[in-house]
Formats: sequence, structure tokens, C-alpha cells
Amino acid sequence: MSGDRNHQPPRPVPARAGVVVALSLVVAVVLGDSGVVTLALPEILRDFGAQVWGVAWVLIAFNLVLALVAVPAARVCVRRDRATATGAGLVVFAGATTACAAAPSLGVLIAGRAIQAAGGAVVIVGSLELLVEATADERSGVRRWAAAGVAGAALGPVVGGLLTWAFSWRSIFVVQIPIVLLALPAAIALRGRVVWRQGDLDIAPDRPHVLANLALALLSAALTAALFLLVLLLVDGWRHSPAVAAVTVTAVPVAALASGRVFRRVRAGTRSEAVAGSFLIAGGLTGLALLPDAQLAWTVAPQVLVGLGLGLSIDSLTAAALRDRIPRALHGGWTIAARHAGVVLGLLILTPIFTADLHHAETPAEEAVASLVLDAPLPASTKLDLAERLGRRLVAERGRVPDVRPAFQTLHVPATQAAAATALELALEDQLKRAATRAFRNAFLVAAGLALLALGPALALRDRSHS
Amino acid sequence: MRGLALPVMAAGLVAAVLGAQVAAGGGHYVPRRPANPCSPRPAAPIPAGLEPLAEQIVLVGLDNAACRLGISRERLVLALAETGSLAPRTTTALKTGLRDAVDRLDREGRLPKVSQLLPEALDQAGVPGIAKTLIDAIPSGLVDNALPTAPLLRSTIDQLDVNRLLHQLHDPRQLQSAVQSAILQAALHQILDRLRP
Repeated sequence: MSGDRNHQPPRPVPARAGVVVALSLVVAVVLGDSGVVTLALPEILRDFGAQVWGVAWVLIAFNLVLALVAVPAARVCVRRDRATATGAGLVVFAGATTACAAAPSLGVLIAGRAIQAAGGAVVIVGSLELLVEATADERSGVRRWAAAGVAGAALGPVVGGLLTWAFSWRSIFVVQIPIVLLALPAAIALRGRVVWRQGDLDIAPDRPHVLANLALALLSAALTAALFLLVLLLVDGWRHSPAVAAVTVTAVPVAALASGRVFRRVRAGTRSEAVAGSFLIAGGLTGLALLPDAQLAWTVAPQVLVGLGLGLSIDSLTAAALRDRIPRALHGGWTIAARHAGVVLGLLILTPIFTADLHHAETPAEEAVASLVLDAPLPASTKLDLAERLGRRLVAERGRVPDVRPAFQTLHVPATQAAAATALELALEDQLKRAATRAFRNAFLVAAGLALLALGPALALRDRSHS
Repeated sequence: MRGLALPVMAAGLVAAVLGAQVAAGGGHYVPRRPANPCSPRPAAPIPAGLEPLAEQIVLVGLDNAACRLGISRERLVLALAETGSLAPRTTTALKTGLRDAVDRLDREGRLPKVSQLLPEALDQAGVPGIAKTLIDAIPSGLVDNALPTAPLLRSTIDQLDVNRLLHQLHDPRQLQSAVQSAILQAALHQILDRLRP
């Protein structure tokens, strides 16, 4: 079935390229919002003096509402003028984003995120039809929509981290407002161009592509580990700044964007791309579970594998879920629902695993610290003083990986012992990084398992070569 | 065949990355494990002075106590730091461990003579100048004969109130005063024992 039969006779679209760019950008922004606050969570936690679980809802609320509202939003888009619906979604999204930027409390921020997701769901599914209309080609429109979503999801944490570092977590929301509002004229320009005829509404919609959507959900759950857990490891475990973490995790989006250029030349087909992509994501996550040390460089190759897999599988599966199915917006809604249900599933499965492992890592980390302090070539009185300071750090940062540097900053040691004290500080930091890295291992392995599970539905896909 | 190309390329890339990581020690990047306290650690030379000697006795003693309690030395130290008062079993294990440490250092000939430690001990105790001059005048051989190191240390350990010491760990002056007091009492008992017919 072709999407063309659904359209009124074509009329020229003003500034077609601008419309396509504006709509692609807004799709990337809305889907980027899924993980954009990941690196800002510690700052939000401090600002509101909240609990970790409460702050996690800033992430969960958006993805949960997006997953729940995407299909109903698509049904609204199917029955109304999609450009009008998209415009309304943009206004709601912009309003909620403004509320998030000015949120006086965590409750308001979480509520704002939920409304953002509801408006964003309409924007996303509506933009699918608008992009097909603006590009005047179903395949090209769908590909742009899927690619913008992949780019947004992959770049979200990076951009959020850099904005948090440069300004504050509120700037993440401030910069979105003009981008979203810029898409409003684009939606208005397409008003009345993409509507369903009464006859089309009488046709029963095609059933959702279960296999492709299931694979999307499983891969999105697995990707949560790469996009969410990795930044937590870098910032909370290895104590890098959000900016350094943001730059480090650019390996994923860069590889995702390069993936198409590298692999699509093979023209291997949807199933082959989905299988290879799932395997690359599983391999990358296993690589993150088996890091040989805490140097950032070691995270690059596994991230590249994840990025290549992401670029190869997500838009390929999305295209498979949409191909020859009407109404397109509804099936777009199913893919969004599947992906964000996957993100929520990933957060719900992986967060308890790594928080429990982080808790269990306290004992070996404390023992390693005690062992190094006891055996350090420092006078006993210095060791006692240091042990007291380290004890206070451990108590103050219970539940998190402690920062030992403050304990050494105020430690008075004679010049002859300075080198030994510095060596001890470095050794303690190394032990804590080892404990943190070990604590994330199981969560990465479970995530790799989720990616491997996606191989099942991916293998069962009917193959279709790219043309 | 084209359908297999991508999965094969993916498998090759994954194998290369994981192979490199495992070869570099991936999977073994874990915190250092505490040593078995029942296996004696290599003996390090003890620098001159009271503090290094006390530290060595405490370190060996902690190993001995942890071995008796069936836990690691590090776990014992952390438990001591967290506990308000010790269980009798732990107190006994600590005292026995410290006494065994003295015995081991004595067997290995690593305990200094009391005459070597006396000047520093007198300085720390703030003994007045005249008394110090008088004590200095006592021949070293006589001091070492009257106060052999190992029995003096064992007796000192017996005098120590471990629970009180733990509460004084954060205050070096109080700690030093408590240890000095225990040494003095032990020395006095030892001298009196010698003088008894």
C-alpha cells in the first residue's frame, strides 16, 4: 500500500528544504529529550536536594508518557489534520519545556517532563506524515524521520552534558524552545495538505509489525545502558566532569551517523542489518563490561560498536515497521511507543542491578582502601589522621563512589612524605575506580543480553533489500 | 551471501574489540583483595624509633587477631573503626594477636633493645633534665638486662585497655599518654619482679 493515495493533490510546498530541516530538527530535539538530562541529573539532585530515585523520574516520566501516549497521539493525527495536530503538539511541548526550564521544584520538573512527552508524542507522529509530504517521497521521508530520531537519541546526552557544564541544567530546556517554535511555521505551511479522506478512515489499519517493534523495544532497552549507565560510570564512578563525559560519549553518535555510510553500501537487507546491528550493540555493551582500566580511551571502541549497531539497526527496524503499512502515523506511533517502552524497561531492569552492585561494591572498596592505607610507607600517626578523614568521606558519601581528594588536600605531611602521600592518593583513586567499574559490569552484561534477545525477532524478519 | 556479509563483519569487529580488551586485562579490573591474614607477610625492616616499632607490632598483631577471628585484617580494622565497644572475643583476639606479634618479632631478632628506645621515650614523656641525665647515666647493659624488650612489651599489652585505646585513636596525645602509662606500669612491674627475692 502506498502513502500517496492518502494525500490530496500535491501543491507546491514553500521553502521545502527549510521545512524538512525544521521538522527533522524538532524530531531530533523531542527524541533527544529522552536522555538529554542524563548528565544533568547530579546537578538537579543537588539543586532540589532530592533523592536519587526521585531524580530518576525526570528521565522515566518522559519516556513512560511518550511510550503510553505515542499510539493514541497517532490516532488523533490520523483523524485530524496532521499539520494542525503537530502545531498543537509543538505549542504544548514548548510550553512544558518552558515550565521545565523555570521549574521551582522537582515535582514541577517531573510534571513538566510528562507534559513535554505528551506534546512531543503528537509532534513525533505528526512529523512523520509531514516529512513524507515535505520530501514528496515516502521512503525518503521515513528515512529522514528515523535518522533524525536516531541522531537525537544518540546526541541527547552529549548535548545535555555540554549545556549543563557550560551553563546549567535549565539551559537544556531553554535552548529547545526556539528550535521547537521554528518548526511551527513549517507545520502551518503544510496545513490542509496531509489529511485522510473519509474512505481511507473506513479501511481497517494494518496490524503493527510485532517483530520489528519488539526488536526496537529490546534494542532501546539495551541502548539505555550505553547512553545512561556509561555517563553515570564516567561522572559518578570515574569522577569526570559532565563536559568530559559528554565529549567521551560522542563516540556513539559519531559512529551511528557513520554507520550508514560504512555498511549500507553492502545493501544486505533489513534482516541482515538488524541482526548485525543487534550483535554490534551486544558486543559493544560486553566491551563496556570488560574494560581493562579506567582510561577513557578504552571506552571508545565499545562505544563505536554500539554506535555502529545503533545506526544500522534502529532506522532499519523503524523502516521495516512502517513499510507498506497504513496509517503511517499510527505505525510511527507504535515504533515510538516500542522504543520508549524499551527505554523505561531498560531503566527499570538496569537501575536496580547497578545500584545494588554499587552497594555491594562498598565492602571490597573499603577493604582495598584500608589495605592500602595500612601498608602505606607513611608514619602511623599520619595514617591514623588520614584514616579518620577517609572515614568521614565514606560516611558523607554513603551510597556513592567517594571522592578521596578532599581528605588529602588538608592533610599535613612533611616534604619527605609528600611523594608517598601522593602515590597513596592515586592508588586509592584507582581502587575506587576499579570498584565502580566492577559495579557496572553486571548491568552492562544484562544490557548486552537484551541486545542479544533482539536477535530473535531480527532473525525472524522478512528480508527486504535496500534500493 | 550478501545477507551474511554484515553479520560476519559485525562478528569480526566485536571479536577484535573484545579480544583486545581481554588481552589487556579486561574482566580483571577489580579492587585489590585483602591478603590472607593467616599467611605471614614478608618481614620488612623496622626503622629506628618507638612509632615504627609500635606500628609493626600493631600490623602483625592485627593479622594474628584477624586470623583467629576468621576475617581479613582490613575487615577487622573497619569493624574496629565502626564499633563503639568490642565484643570480649575480639578484645581477646586483639591482645593475643599483639602478644603473638611481639613473640614473632622477638624470634626473628627484630626487636630493638630498650636502651635504644629509652632516649626517645624520655623525650616524649617530658622527663625533667636532671632525672633524664641520671637515667642516661645508667649503663645500657644494665637497662637491657633489667628490662628485656619482649617481656616489657608483652606486659605493656596486658596493661592496655583496648576499648579505651580505640576511643582515643582520634586524639594522638591521649593515645600516646595511654601507651606511655601502660609502658611505665609494665616497666615498674618488671623491675619489681626482678627485685623480689
